[in-house]
This record gives sequence, C-alpha cells and structure tokens, in this order.
Amino acid sequence: MTGLNIFGKEVFDTLFIDWQIMAAVAIISVILFLVGMYIQLDKWGRGIPEGATKPIGAWGALKLIVGGIFVKGIGHAFEVLVLDVLFQRRTYRRRKVEWLMHILIFWGWIGLLILTIVAAAAEFAGPFLFNQDYTYFVGVWQFLKLPNNIFGLMLVAGILIAIGRRLLSKSKDVQARNADVDWILIIGLLIVVATGFYSQYLRADVFQTPRDIISAYPAGFFDNFTVMFHEVFTLLFCVAYLPFSKYFHMIAAPLTILVNHGGE
Amino acid sequence: MAKEKPSINTVNFSAAQLMEFDACTRCGECVKYCPTYDARDKNQDIEPRDKIQRWKEFMNKSYGLKARFLGPEKIAPEVIKKYTDDLYNCTTCGMCGTVCPAGINTIELWESNRANLVKYGTGPYGKQRLFPKLIEEGHNPYMKQQKDRLAWMTPDIKIADKSDIAYFIGCTAGYNQQVLGVSTARILNKLNVPFMALGEDEWCCGSALIRTGQQHINDTPKKSSIHNVEALKARGAKRVIFACAGCFRAAKIDWPRAYGKELPFEAIHMSQFLAEQLDAGKIKWEKSLDKTVTYHDPCHLGRHVGVFEEPRKVINSMPGIKLVEMKRNRKEQRCCGAGGGVKAGIPDLALGVAKGRMNDAKETGAQALISTCPFCRRNLLDGRDDLKMDMSVDDLVVLTANLMGLSTDVKPPAPGAPKESISDLFRTQIIPPKPPAEPKKEEPKKEEPKKQEPKAAVPPAGKK
Repeated sequence: MTGLNIFGKEVFDTLFIDWQIMAAVAIISVILFLVGMYIQLDKWGRGIPEGATKPIGAWGALKLIVGGIFVKGIGHAFEVLVLDVLFQRRTYRRRKVEWLMHILIFWGWIGLLILTIVAAAAEFAGPFLFNQDYTYFVGVWQFLKLPNNIFGLMLVAGILIAIGRRLLSKSKDVQARNADVDWILIIGLLIVVATGFYSQYLRADVFQTPRDIISAYPAGFFDNFTVMFHEVFTLLFCVAYLPFSKYFHMIAAPLTILVNHGGE
Repeated sequence: MAKEKPSINTVNFSAAQLMEFDACTRCGECVKYCPTYDARDKNQDIEPRDKIQRWKEFMNKSYGLKARFLGPEKIAPEVIKKYTDDLYNCTTCGMCGTVCPAGINTIELWESNRANLVKYGTGPYGKQRLFPKLIEEGHNPYMKQQKDRLAWMTPDIKIADKSDIAYFIGCTAGYNQQVLGVSTARILNKLNVPFMALGEDEWCCGSALIRTGQQHINDTPKKSSIHNVEALKARGAKRVIFACAGCFRAAKIDWPRAYGKELPFEAIHMSQFLAEQLDAGKIKWEKSLDKTVTYHDPCHLGRHVGVFEEPRKVINSMPGIKLVEMKRNRKEQRCCGAGGGVKAGIPDLALGVAKGRMNDAKETGAQALISTCPFCRRNLLDGRDDLKMDMSVDDLVVLTANLMGLSTDVKPPAPGAPKESISDLFRTQIIPPKPPAEPKKEEPKKEEPKKQEPKAAVPPAGKK
C-alpha cells in the first residue's frame, strides 16, 4: 500500500489509514450533507409570504437568505459574522456558562479543522512546492502538535461543561421537552474526541517516530480499527448526519442571526 | 396511490421564517422571560420554545426528509387546534425575540403563524373574530360612531383645520380614554403648536388585526393604513404625533409596508415630542408633585420601536418626581398583558399578566406607575384593581399636563363611563355609577322559557 500518486509525486503516504477509504467516506459524507441541505432549503423555500403566489423553492430560498444577509451592507454583515456568529455575542450577554461551553466547543472544533487543513496542505506542499519527501510533512505535523492538543482540550472542556450543565441544572426553565436528545450529540462528540486522542497517542507516543511513511508502519498498525473508526465516524456524524439531525440549528441559527442582522 | 396532502401549509411564512423554526437551539432563554408562560403557571405548552419546536415538528412531518419519500405524516386536527390556542396565548410582546441567542424575530414569526392558522381555519381566538367586521364596517374596534371621534373635545381646546403637525388620536384615547386626548391637546395648545386631527376621517390603525393574524381579511388594515396616510398627506401633515404606543408602532412599522413606500410624514410619539420640547426649553413646569413613580415601557413603544429614554427624560425633569426603575425595564420589561389581541380574546390571561407587572411596580415602592400607552394603562388598572393595590396608574401625558399647570379634566363623565376615561393620579372627577338596569317587562308566557345562564357584560374587542 502506498499513498496517492499525482503527476509522479506521492501524497497521503503518511496517512496511517487507507486514503482510498478516507476519500470515499469523505465524498459520501459531503454528498449526504449537500442532499440534506437541499432538502432543508427546499423545505424553507416552500414558504409563501403574504402577497406571493407560489413558493420560491430551494434555490430561491438560498438566494433570499444570501441576499438578506447583505441587505445592510458587507461591513454590517461582517460585523455580525464576527461578533454574533464567531464570538456569539447574544449568548454571552445572557448565558455566560453556556457561552463558554459553546465557545470552547466551537473554537476547539474550528481550530482542529484549520489544523487538519494545514496538515493536508503540508502533504501537498512538501512534494509539490518544496520538492521534499514525507519528512516535510512530519516536521509540520510535529509543529502542530501543541495547538492540536490545545484545541482538542478546549473541545473536551466544552463537552464536560455541557455534561455538567445537563446533570446539575435540571430546572424546568432549562430543560426542553425531549431534551434527552441532546445526549446523542454530547455522546457523539465524546466518541470523536476520545478516539481522536487515542489515535494521536498511537501515532505520537507509542511509536517514537511520530508519523512515518506507510511502508514503515509495523504490521497491524496500518488501518488500525480505532483510528479508522475515528476518521469515518467523525465524517459521518459531524458532516453527513448534521442536516438530518436535531442539531441542524448549528447551521440554521448562524444563518438566522446573519439574515436578521444580529437579531433585535 | 396518491400521496396524502400535508396537514399544514406554508402560507404567510417567508423562507427565512421557516428557517427560524430550525434555528431554535431549545436553550430556554425565552422561557425565563415569557409573561404569558408565567401567568399560566409555567405551562410548558405556552413556552415560545415549545411552540417553535412543535411547528418545526409539523413542518418536518409535512415537508421533511421522510415526508419527501414516504409522504406526509398526518397531524390530527385537534393537535393543530391545540397548537393554535397556545399560539394565541401570547401578547406578541417580543421578549422572546429580544433574548433569543439565535436572533429569531419572534414577533413577525408569531404574526405569520397566526395568519397561517386563520387561513387554515383554527385561528383567531374567541372575541378576536369580531375585529375584522367591526374595523371594516365601523373603522374602530369599539362599536362607536365615526362622528364621535372628537367627542372628547372641550371648548378650550383648539384644533386647526390644516397644519403640518397632526395628532393621530387613536380609537382607545378617542373613545374610552378621553383624559389622554384632552391632555395631549391642551399641552400642544399651551406650547403654541398648531395641530390638526383627522376627526371623522381617522380610521383604526389596524394593529389589532395585524397582531391577531387577520390582516388579509378584506385587506382591512392595508385599506385603513393607506386611508390614514392619504388623509394625513392631503391635510398637509409633515409630522404626526401619536400618544398611543399601539398606533405609533403600526405607523412606524405596519403602515409603510401597507403603503408600499416611506410615509410622506414623520411619525413621532408624544413622549419623543415632549422630550424635544424640553430640550428646546419650551416646557415650563408650573407645579411640583412629590411622588415616587415607576415607568412601564409599553412593548409597542419600547421593544418594537426602540423608544426608551425620552419618556424617562421627561419624567426626570419633573419637579418633585422621583423615578425608580422596575427590575425589568427598557428592553427587558415585562409586558402589561393587553397586546396581541389577548385583552379581547383571553381576558383572564391579560389580567394575570397585568397583575405580574403591577407586582413588579409594587416592589419598587413607587406610588404611581406611569406609562405611555392607553391600552397598557387600561390593563394595568385592571391588574391593580384586582390586586386591590394602592397605586395610581396614569399616562405620562396626563402627568405632564398637570405639572404644566393644565387641567386634565374631561367632559363630565357619563354614568358608568370606563374608569380609564379620567385621570387616576389627579382624581378631580368622579364617574357616576351606572344606574341599575330597569327590570324587563315580563311578556305573557307562550311556552316554558329555556333556562339561560346570565351573560357577562363584556364588550367586544377589549372595550370596557
């Protein structure tokens, strides 16, 4: 098994699971995500406001939402994006603990996503830009270890606050009907985080050579089940499942804040 | 086999509003502040969050993933009826939207949802059904005559035929709360501000119909709005003063939508006008009043339109008056309970919410509660009376008129006139009790009469 050969250069030869499996799951996840988004947009596009005669459909809904975001200008939309979406100003004003939980989970997640993109870019940058072999990637990956740990721990801290809130504050004012469904998300995230840390432990700590080319892996390590499960589960749970789940508010709420220009 | 039709439909919702149902995170922040949820003993069916979740579920059953492939899931009519009733247990005060971390515009959402359900056939609620006929035919919800629009005028009041300043009186002040009409007019006269009023040409602002989701019925609010705008424009109005928060909200938000463009005049609330006059040094206080007062922000003036500081500025300038704030003030105030058609449709709920607000006022130790909306005042008076609380409830304009040395007396009130027709703070007049009704002459018995429950003398559409 080797990495992916592109124009005679090899990339993804440092993954320690089969890149073909990863590519297939990633493509399936993105397709499912897009199908789910289309179904949601189509549902929203069925609205017929007073004065209109027919629904605007999925494409019309998308245009309306995007247009609505910029009604007050790009500057205002950017301000709302930064303050109300990325830093959740509305939540901060009233729910400090929940804000901290959201920020830790959100930025932990975003941080890991960014570092993953940086690592993927390093896979290509080594052979294509700097004419180096996999060692370029290994260097970058080692450099990213600390920020990866920080963002991972932020995610864990956020999840722990979420669990604590649900276990400790059970007043009727806080709990929605069928609030137990939240546990699916919390447990799902816990699985992602736990398997993620374990995967990192496997690569970085057990084998003192932090990450190596596929051929250098010891027998039985390549396509390790836990690592494979981590990658596949993360893609399916956090990407493919999102538009079909009860957590779709993760997409709809920021869009609503943007369309309503930060809310009242 | 043909697929079953969805049990609900999506009329009156915009795409963005349907998205808002999916945006709710179920955090429950709205629940902490909802006045009707509190007044209904924390009934979870009344929660804004629960209503959003239920309609979202209806949408998913009708148009979601499963519905696309397997057909819509049936929703029992009684479930939709129950939802409708819960939806109308709301004053559309907008507090839920103010605190919503997802920024959902709940006021517009509830109104669209109500309009949808009126078209569906389960809305509105109770006596709210009388609004369209009353307002369409009589141009007011109180079953009064148009010719009596200015019946509150006293000989000392001067109203110009034409002026670039107009006073839009509104149905509540015009017919039931004369003290507000006379006080506003006398203040404007004293300030040498010539103003005109539409009189018989003034129609209901349409607020009651819009708030209860009945705006589409004969397009009455649209017709009323356009009529009022054109009438004011024809009389040369450049600025229109509103002393009713409900009418002001309608003029600021609903009329431009109906008119299809910007209004050809500036709409201004009387409290803003007074603050302006104060800044210009035109208001001279002639009296002092040693009282501690608290100020209730009407939803329609505060949260809906954003006027918070001007009324406080006027109160703080009054000699002898000490303003103390309720815990919930400005954007976070608690609704009086009258709006959204609740006063007419669900009076016990209106009373329950009003009592909550009066208790808020009591906590401050204030001797009087001041507001800037005749509809709030009426409902808070009811709450006060039910609680047998020793606190005056009056309008900022009435207090202003008195301290400017003006009379707030109305024409001698008719026996049994509404309690809100005179000033509560300056009790210079009394309302003679209503004479007992003459016993009905007994008609010769033709057959055994059916036993009937005595009917409560509750006038329609909140008229008392």
